[in-house]
Formats: sequence, structure tokens, C-alpha cells
Amino acid sequence: MLKKYVVFIALPTMAISAALTPLAHATVAPHKIISLSPSATEDLFAIGAGTQVIAVDQLSNFPSSAPASKLDAFSPNVEAIAAYKPDLVILNSGATKAESVRSALKKLRIKVYFETAPLDMTGAYKEITELGSLTGKGPQAQTLIRSMKSAVKKAIETGRKKSPISIYHELDDTLYSVTSETFIGRVYRDFNLVNVADAAAKADSYGYPQLTPEYVVQSNPSIIYLSDAQYGTNLASVTARPGWSSLKAVTSNHVVALPEDIPSRWGPRLVDFYQFVSKSIAGIN
Amino acid sequence: MKKTSAGIGQIWNWKITASCALILLAIGTLAISLGPIHLGFFDILKTLIGAHGLEGQDRTVLLDLRLPRALLAALVGAALATSGAVYQTVFRNPLADPYLLGAASGAGLGATIAITNSGGNIYGWLPIFSFVGATLAVMTSFFISGRFFAEPNTLLLSGIAVGSFATAVQTYLQQRHSNALRPVYNWILGELTVANWSIVSWSSIYILSSILVLVTVSKKLDGLLLSDEESFSLGIDPNRLRMIAVAAATLATATAVSASGLIGFVGIVVPHLVRGVTHRVTNRSLATIALVGASFLVLADLGARTILSPAELPIGVITAFVGAPFFLFVLRTRRVSHQ
Amino acid sequence: MIKVADLTVKMGGRSILNDINLEIPHGHWTCLVGPNGAGKTTFLKVLLGVREYSGSLQDNGVEVYRNHKRNVAFVPQSPEIPTGMTVAEYVALGRSKVDGWGNETAKSRQFIEEVLIQTQLYGMHQRHVAQLSGGEMQRALIARALAQEPQLILLDEPTSALDLHHQISVLNNIEDLKSRGVTVISTMHDITLAAMYAERIVVMHEGKTLLDGIASDVIHSAELRTAFDNRINVYTLDSGRPVIVASKDESKN
Repeated sequence: MLKKYVVFIALPTMAISAALTPLAHATVAPHKIISLSPSATEDLFAIGAGTQVIAVDQLSNFPSSAPASKLDAFSPNVEAIAAYKPDLVILNSGATKAESVRSALKKLRIKVYFETAPLDMTGAYKEITELGSLTGKGPQAQTLIRSMKSAVKKAIETGRKKSPISIYHELDDTLYSVTSETFIGRVYRDFNLVNVADAAAKADSYGYPQLTPEYVVQSNPSIIYLSDAQYGTNLASVTARPGWSSLKAVTSNHVVALPEDIPSRWGPRLVDFYQFVSKSIAGIN
Repeated sequence: MKKTSAGIGQIWNWKITASCALILLAIGTLAISLGPIHLGFFDILKTLIGAHGLEGQDRTVLLDLRLPRALLAALVGAALATSGAVYQTVFRNPLADPYLLGAASGAGLGATIAITNSGGNIYGWLPIFSFVGATLAVMTSFFISGRFFAEPNTLLLSGIAVGSFATAVQTYLQQRHSNALRPVYNWILGELTVANWSIVSWSSIYILSSILVLVTVSKKLDGLLLSDEESFSLGIDPNRLRMIAVAAATLATATAVSASGLIGFVGIVVPHLVRGVTHRVTNRSLATIALVGASFLVLADLGARTILSPAELPIGVITAFVGAPFFLFVLRTRRVSHQ
Repeated sequence: MIKVADLTVKMGGRSILNDINLEIPHGHWTCLVGPNGAGKTTFLKVLLGVREYSGSLQDNGVEVYRNHKRNVAFVPQSPEIPTGMTVAEYVALGRSKVDGWGNETAKSRQFIEEVLIQTQLYGMHQRHVAQLSGGEMQRALIARALAQEPQLILLDEPTSALDLHHQISVLNNIEDLKSRGVTVISTMHDITLAAMYAERIVVMHEGKTLLDGIASDVIHSAELRTAFDNRINVYTLDSGRPVIVASKDESKN
């Protein structure tokens, strides 16, 4: 008798849930995604949407399992993108003629996620959330964000100094630097590191002023971060610059070579960057 | 010139112009048939004549991507080639190009101002700014040539001064706004990448009317190859003609530059190509030069998007590749003919 | 008749031509002589109609400035030589005054051929103008002027670049033109040649005309010698032809 009731309840329940299931997945998550942004690529794979990606641009080198293609992030070729018949294209707003590319893709009825470079961690998390909901990996995205937040918090807690330390972040050997208003600048600021470039902020309204050698020598930073290490700049070449051998950073051996890519992406490896900075200032009082 | 037994042969032949038009048509058809997405040739033809051909995405690719791009390449190529020919006549210098009077630097400055001052949609304003920049630069060159208004050598010097000034201001702005560096650089290299029908429609109005004006006065342009007194004696008002010619040529150049950035060498190479093949220095070949310029750039653009597919070569690289050796060739033959 | 009244041409505050009063008859050959800087070339340009002036210069009663109704050929001393143009095309430019720019008729082509033969350029008419020697270029200029069928021809030093043989042949061509009713006004450094061909001579000095009149009168005048600071000698050959040569010291002749 009980069996009959179970059947009478179970069957309709199963039927209803079967009927409802297609509704829950009525908008099928895109499974032919093209990512033209290295940071977005890292995000996608970190939230488990990697299997939904069919092609990434030439600069998306992490993770190495990402399906590399000859597509170019900076000069997207609309027809070449369309040839893949994607159902979602992640396009960075810094690409050449990004607006035109976006409208052309729209005409071809291809969905576009228009990514703008975030200005801080909140923006980076927002992108992860958005990519999560677009790919049907909402919960996974939230999990990633939570773990990133706690790792970053831990890195700051262990690493942050009580009193501010002056630093100089070098973009290239013509002394372009970053102010604390940039993404990278904020990371440094979280550790109470003060950019010597801040005082020169007026020289470039976007936070990337070019400094003069005298200015750097005068500011006497305690740490020098070399973003141009990948181009060959190192402790030796920096010491060789006239007047620089007397800098605190040089004499106390705090000239730090930054790894490639990690400081210029706003994906999950930002955590690695926070931990890197934390370690680099560990020995300073 | 064909020397008939009766004496001096005819100087110009409309058949050459007609065949160049046919060649342009053929090259254009080739250009819209090739690309990363394969489209059937006959389907393309059927779609173009309005019959039932391609559908859906393929149709959009043909009509909204390839066709406007090919048309824009043709327009820009025609504009630059014609302006180059006219400038070469006006300045009596076979190495003159359409960017001589500061048009390039002015356009670059306009583009930089647009890029550094806009929040979001740069590309909406960019064409207007670069157009205004190019035109203002040329007008300034005329203005500061002062008393020797429209005299070729003075104009040339004014143009150099104006161009240098514009470039200096542009460099300053770029130093102050580093985020503008990449977009400006890309624009300078010259791109036809995402042409659309709106760009094609406004640029065709300006470019076609300029070319029309120039072809209309082209017969008299030969007179500008002589000194002002000589051309006056032959019924020309040299200053007025120079102004009209330079104004129309600048309009065409400014439009081309604002639509597609700075594409070099077309303005120098194509006039010489046509003159070399037809053995005519006369400007009556202006219509032919326009057509050949159009074909040249459509071909170059085809190369730009197919050679390294799916990446795009900047079209300025291709025109320089063809143009630079050609340039040297022109210099060499010039020296030979002067011996 | 060309009537010049109170003609003054200034440039940068300086007077190049100063209060010139003159009458030049049509159908004759008038030659302007005088030292460098006398204003001869400027006067030619004013006669052409390209230079602004104050005063009056009328050709058949109409001011000449920017007057395109006249058919005036201008043969400059140093022309702009276009690159890439053949001699035939260059000479054909002259026909544009007659046919209009860009029109060619079979008649015109015939005319051009005759002109090329006349100036002994026929064999080289396919050559580029830029490749011509100085003398050949001068003949090409004359040919272009002839092709124009002008009413008035202005020549600035038409013989300076020519060898003796061609000097004579070019001047003969011009004389031929004159005999067909064309008015000739030329400037010449070689006064002996001027005396051979010109019917009237105008002596110019520092922007003014010192004397104008029949060639034979002017040649033997004191004004001619004054214009050249008395550093010329005028001899007369047995045939009656005058020969004018420069002298080392002030002449007493």
C-alpha cells in the first residue's frame, strides 16, 4: 500500500522535476567560448569553465592547457573569430577598434563580453563573478573569489609593515613608473608601500608618469621593483646607472625582479603577486 | 605616344582608363571572395545581384564585413593616389606625397586629441578630429606662406614647419597620456580592419567629389609643371588653380586619413606606376591613377588580412614593402635621365 | 599699340620700374637693352600681365594685368623643366592656348610637327625635355611659343645659351614670326644681335627708360653709352652694320 503512495507521489514529482529541468537550463551556458584576454582566460579555467573554451588569443599562455590559436588580442580579426562559430567572445576594450569589433560581432549575432581593465581588486572580483554567471559556473566563481580574498588578506596581514616604506616600480629603462592610483599601485599600498612616483602624478593623468634619474635618486626608495626584468634590467644594470649605486634599495640589496605576466594580469594569480610582494618586504624592518 | 605616319600621335587614350576600371572590378571581386570563412563564389555573385545566395552569418560576413572593407580600401586608395599625383604636379616634385603640407601630422594630432580626451567611445569622434586636424594643418601652411601665397617652395617650407609643430604637440600629449600610446600607434600604422557602411558612406561623399573636381581640372594641371609666367601665358591662373587643386586633394587626403589612418607610399608609387606604364606625365591620366590607386590598395588590404591570417598585418607595412623599393627605382631612373 | 603710362612697379619698398612712359608699336620687333638690374625682365613680366603695377599699361586699349584674352607667348630665360615629359608633349602644351586645355585636333598635331621641323627638333621629339642640352631647351621653348600662334611674343634672353649657328637660326625663326604680324619684344645682352634684328630699341637703366626709338638712332646715341657707364664701344662695319663691344676703360668713342 505504501508502495502505491510512493509511486503516486514519486512519479509526478519526477515528472515535474523532469519538466522543470529544461527550464532551469533554458539558457544553455556557452560552450564555444573564445577568450581574447589573458586575464579572462585565467579566470575561466580557474572557475572550471576551461572545457567550454575553444580558442584563446596568442598572449593567453596560462594555463598551458588553454587551446592556443593565432587570434590576436590587440588586433582582432572579426572574420577569423566568426569562422570558429563561437557562442561567446571575450573582448578587451583596449583592443584596436574594440567598439567596431564588438558591433561587427553583434551584427553576426555573436555574444560579446566586453571586458574593461579593472582598477582594483573589487573590479577583478566583479569580472570573475560575471564570467561565472555567463558560463553557468556561478558557485565556482564565488568559491574562487572567497579563496582569493582570504589568501590576499593573509598575505597582507603577514606582510604589511607598520611604518610606510618608499618604493620605486620601474616599467622600463626610460623610467616610466606607476602611482598608487593604478591597480599595481594599490597592491603596493595595501602593504603600506609608498610609490615615489605619487608626487610626480601630474606628469601623467593616467598614473604612469615618466620620472627623471635625479628624481629617483632624490627620493631614495628603499625597494626597487623591476617590471622590465624580462627585458634584461637587473641589479647590475641598475647599479651602473650614475648616482644610483648610493640608493638605499641598491646598497641593502632590495632590487626585486618581478616575474613576467603576473603583475600585468588581473586573474586568480593576483594572489601570487600579493604573496610575492609580501615575501619581498619580509626582511625589511 | 604612338607616332603615326602622319606625324605626332595622339596623347591620350580612353581605352586605358576603361581597362583600369575593369581591372578594379576584377580585383574587388577577388577581394570579397577571400577570407578565413569560405564563401562560395557563385553564392557571392548571386547575393550581390540581389538573388537568393548566401544566408545568415555568411551573408553578414559578405555584406557587412568584406564588402564595406573592400569599398573603403578602393576609396582610400583612389584618394591617396590622386592626391599624390596632384601634389607631385603642384610642387613640381616627383617625390611629393599627399601628406606634404602637414596633413599627416595634423591628422595625427587630431586623432591623439580625440583619443586622449574621450572617455569611452573614441572611435566615434576620431574621424572628425583627424579630418579637422588635417585640414587645419594645410590651411595653416597656406596662411603662414604669407605674401608668397600658394607659391610651391614657400608652401613646402610652411608645410614642414606646421607638420613639425603638430608632431611636437602630439608627442607632448602622448607623454602626458600614456594610455593613448597604443591606440594612436595602431591608428598611425593604417588600418581598414573594421570598415562599416557608415564610414564608407561619408568618406565616399568627400572622396568622390574631390576626385571629380580634380579630374575636371586635370587637363589644366599640366600647366602647373611650368613656371608661373609660362603657365599664365598659356591661359592658366596658377595661384588659383593651385589652391583649388590643393584644396580638393587635401579634402580627399584628410577624409582618407580619418577613415583609415596613415597609409603611406600609395600617393607616391601609384602615379609613377601609371605614368611609367603609359609613358605619360600629363595629368590627363588622373582618372586612371585614381582607378589604379583603388586596385592597389584593395590588393594590399587583401594581403594584409590573408598573409598572416588570422592575424592582420598593418596595411602600412605592405604598402611600404612595395613602395620603398619602388621609390629607389624612381630615384635611380631620375638620375639616369638627368645625365 | 602698347601704351605705357607712368608705370611703376615696387617690390619690398624698392622701385624696380619707375615712371615709365613708352609706346611700343604692334607688328615690330622691339628690343630692351640695358645692364643687369635695369628692370628688363620685370618689364617683360608686366607686359605679360602677371605683375601688378601702378600707372597704366594698355594693349589695344585694355589694361594687361591678368588679361587672359590676349594670346601672349612668354619665353623665359630659365624655364621650369618638367621631368618625364617628351619634347613633343612639351611643345604641344603651346597648343592649349589655341585649342583649349586637353583638346587635341589632327590639325594641331600637324602644326606641332611643322614647328618641330622648323626648330630642328623633329629628330629628338621623343626625348625627355629634361635630357635636352641648354641650346636644345631654348629651341624647345621657341617651338612651344610658335605652337601657340601668339599675337605677341616676349623673349627673355632668347640667345644666351645658344651657339652662334643656333643663335642665328632662332632669331631667324622669330623674324619669320614677326613677318607674319606677330609683335616681338625681347631683352638681349648681345646688342650687336639686337641691332641686327630689332627695329626699335629701348634703353633701360635702373628702372627707367633712357631712350627709345629706331634701332639705328639708339645704337649711336649717348644714352646707350650712359646706360653702360660709358664702357662700351660702338663700331660700324663697312656694310653699315653696327658692332657694340665692351671696353676695358671708359671709352672716348
